[in-house]
Amino acid sequence: MSRTFSGRTRRWRVAVALGAAVALGLSGCGLNEDNSSSGENSGGGDVLRIGTTTDVSNFNPLQSLSKTDSWILNAMYPHLLRIDENAKKAPELAKEYTYENGGKTAVFHLRDDFTWTDGKPVVAEDVKFSAESIMKYKLGNVAAKLTWVTSIEAPDATTVKFHLSQPYAPFAEGVGFWMSIVPKHVFEGAGDLSKFANDSDWVGAGPFVLESATKGQRYVMKRNDRYPLAPGGKPAVGKVEFRLYPDVNTMMLALRNGDIDLMGTPVPASAAKTFANDSKIKLAKVGALGFAHLTYNMNNKDLAKQEVRQALSMAVDTKSIISSVLQGDAQEMSGPISPIFADYDNTEIQPYPFDPAGAKAKLAAAGYSDRDGDGLFDGLDLGVACDQSNANITRVVQLFRESAAKAGIKLTNECVERNTFLSRTKDGEYDIDASQWGVFDNPMDQLRSTYLSSNPGGINYNLLKSPEMDQLINDAAATTDPAAFATKIKNIDKVVHEQAYLTPLYVENFQFAYNASKFTGFVASPSDLLGMVTAYSLAQVKPVG
Amino acid sequence: MARFMLNRALKAVLTVWIAITATFFLLRLLPGDPTTLMVEGDMTPEMRAALLETYGLDRPLLEQYVSYLRELLHGNFGISFRQIQPVTDILLDRLPWTLLLAGVAFLLTIAVGIPIGVSAAAHRGRWPDKLLQGFGIAGHALFVPSVAMLLLVWLGARLGWFPIGGAIDPDTRGLAAYLSLAHHLVLPVASLVLVQLGPYALTLRTNLIDVLGEDYIRAARARGLSGRRRLWKHGLRNAILPALTLMGLQLGTLVGGAVLTETVFAYPGVGRLIFEAVGQRDYPVLQGAFIMLAITVVVANALTDLLYAVLNPRIRL
Repeated sequence: MSRTFSGRTRRWRVAVALGAAVALGLSGCGLNEDNSSSGENSGGGDVLRIGTTTDVSNFNPLQSLSKTDSWILNAMYPHLLRIDENAKKAPELAKEYTYENGGKTAVFHLRDDFTWTDGKPVVAEDVKFSAESIMKYKLGNVAAKLTWVTSIEAPDATTVKFHLSQPYAPFAEGVGFWMSIVPKHVFEGAGDLSKFANDSDWVGAGPFVLESATKGQRYVMKRNDRYPLAPGGKPAVGKVEFRLYPDVNTMMLALRNGDIDLMGTPVPASAAKTFANDSKIKLAKVGALGFAHLTYNMNNKDLAKQEVRQALSMAVDTKSIISSVLQGDAQEMSGPISPIFADYDNTEIQPYPFDPAGAKAKLAAAGYSDRDGDGLFDGLDLGVACDQSNANITRVVQLFRESAAKAGIKLTNECVERNTFLSRTKDGEYDIDASQWGVFDNPMDQLRSTYLSSNPGGINYNLLKSPEMDQLINDAAATTDPAAFATKIKNIDKVVHEQAYLTPLYVENFQFAYNASKFTGFVASPSDLLGMVTAYSLAQVKPVG
Repeated sequence: MARFMLNRALKAVLTVWIAITATFFLLRLLPGDPTTLMVEGDMTPEMRAALLETYGLDRPLLEQYVSYLRELLHGNFGISFRQIQPVTDILLDRLPWTLLLAGVAFLLTIAVGIPIGVSAAAHRGRWPDKLLQGFGIAGHALFVPSVAMLLLVWLGARLGWFPIGGAIDPDTRGLAAYLSLAHHLVLPVASLVLVQLGPYALTLRTNLIDVLGEDYIRAARARGLSGRRRLWKHGLRNAILPALTLMGLQLGTLVGGAVLTETVFAYPGVGRLIFEAVGQRDYPVLQGAFIMLAITVVVANALTDLLYAVLNPRIRL
């Protein structure tokens, strides 16, 4: 009997071992096979490892809309312009741009030393092809920026002319900054570019080009040895490797452990101090293009009244929000333009003071009363919608509710899951929207998107239909003289502030963490969209020592 | 037996069809669509309409459903909205990692759970039993991501014993790659096993105590069989039958747990794919992943039933 028992035990052991082997084999059979050439130099400082949060959705830069995709794709595909630390447009593939024909023709003059990694030069026809493909297949968000284009001309290898149906002051800046330039000789054979994944044999002209992609794990990029914007004509770093950490806390641990050298995403303000005692880790602080705000739905009968919107603006304690939610790491703002756009920010405007008693008096004067004596105005019950995954905004809503109650205004927290929130905002199903703009690279695009009633898309969360605002915006949009343009933008700032269409809350300072004992030379951009992971920044990075 | 198997197979097919249908309609009942996430940009209604047409989401729901079922019958899971690649390719790329993680955790739960459960039953009322009961109750209360994060912070980040993310060191080859694979598996597997082990061993212990009180065990004792043989041969053999059902159910829980574990440990399996696809409303990927998980659970349960029937002929009656 004991022999039988032993035999069964042995069979169990064999079965378990076989199961484990099969399981291991299932995964193991493909282990690192596709990276045979990418392991070189990975142990040294020649490889810059960056933490990213999600996989690349697709490798077609004309189609992709994801922030983390853009970190990788922007390093491969050049743009006409880039944004510098002060939110000004700087040359990249284009040396400069000019307007002709009274602002109806935007002309880009290209550098002649950009080369695709297969050896062909980057020429005006590539730019023309990229823009025409976007227009034809309505690809990505750039398609909206090309709305004014009637035709595109490439008279020579370094000149591209965009003919517009009407002058639009920030056209060149917007298209120049956002549009990726793809190699015509590679992409033109792909047919319908809305269905082209571009997932192998990459040809780029940025400082790095993808070498291998292991979904769910990492993306390895190799240096482009002919990148003219890198000191010495080629990036100092041999390879860039993006590693995936879906959770920002895990990514912070990975940076501290030395698994990565740079966090692509900003470090949350509340967590930044955890790096204080780590001598290797440095934090680079940058301002932001976007800002947090409260926007009032004009279709609500109460919020349609200027006094109510002004009273709500007076019921928000922004100073307290900045000190408690963001540990002081943000700027207060008054108008609808981020102060980083120094040329357009109207500094004569002052924020509404935090004054619950004043807000109460304003509402009483507007006819609101508290007959039941509960301290809240009767019938003034408003919901505040927000994306609950944004911890800062959720906390802001909580503080806003408390401070508004002191002004006699009852607010209900309606923070929900992100997609639900976006769906509701798209459909206008909210009273007050508490959110944070992503990236507007210029104030005009922001004002058009947020206040122009005829703007077919955009993010007009006020659902504003004001002929006066339409007139002001359209007038400014057609003004190509820089000084006159700035004056008109500042005037719109003033009108928005007086009307209290929105209550600006703060401009967050973003902090990007990197291992300063291994790499230096990062150039930060004022946005969490780009941060320190831009083509220009990656081309400037060099190993320490 | 053939009739029994046919019956089980039909039920399995019906279950998978219900899962397919429920997944299809539930996803579309969620607020937002794949274009929702683009609302913050300058997306015109024309662009949105073009995208919906590209995705086939402009057609009536029933038409989409029939078309989807037709494609499924041809083995086509569709094309990912965001990755512009066949869903089958995307899933097959991720599936081995999830099978590895859930499979190892499953086997380990059984391998460790059986001796613990048996030991607790054999020492009923004494300290091994009390320890297991505490552990089992804790297992019910533990939440996979909390355990995972705790292990990650302490054993991964603070002590540096294990990697804190990924599935393998990308620069390893051959045997080193397998060792790296195992090294990366420790914490994700441990977080799953810690949560599953207690309840499993506790169920086994309870079953075993019941069985040990049966007449035939007393008869075996009267025949002079040793305690060890009564416990392991006669007791466990009968007590393990109900535990088999639990094991089948646990596989489903393990797969669900793997979704959370994979996210915490940046493990490149189907779970993390689902996490990302939910955020992007990538319906084809989500549908494909849920169908695959449903099939996994249904097949596991069918196999459990089959095994149960083989071991206990009475249920075939």
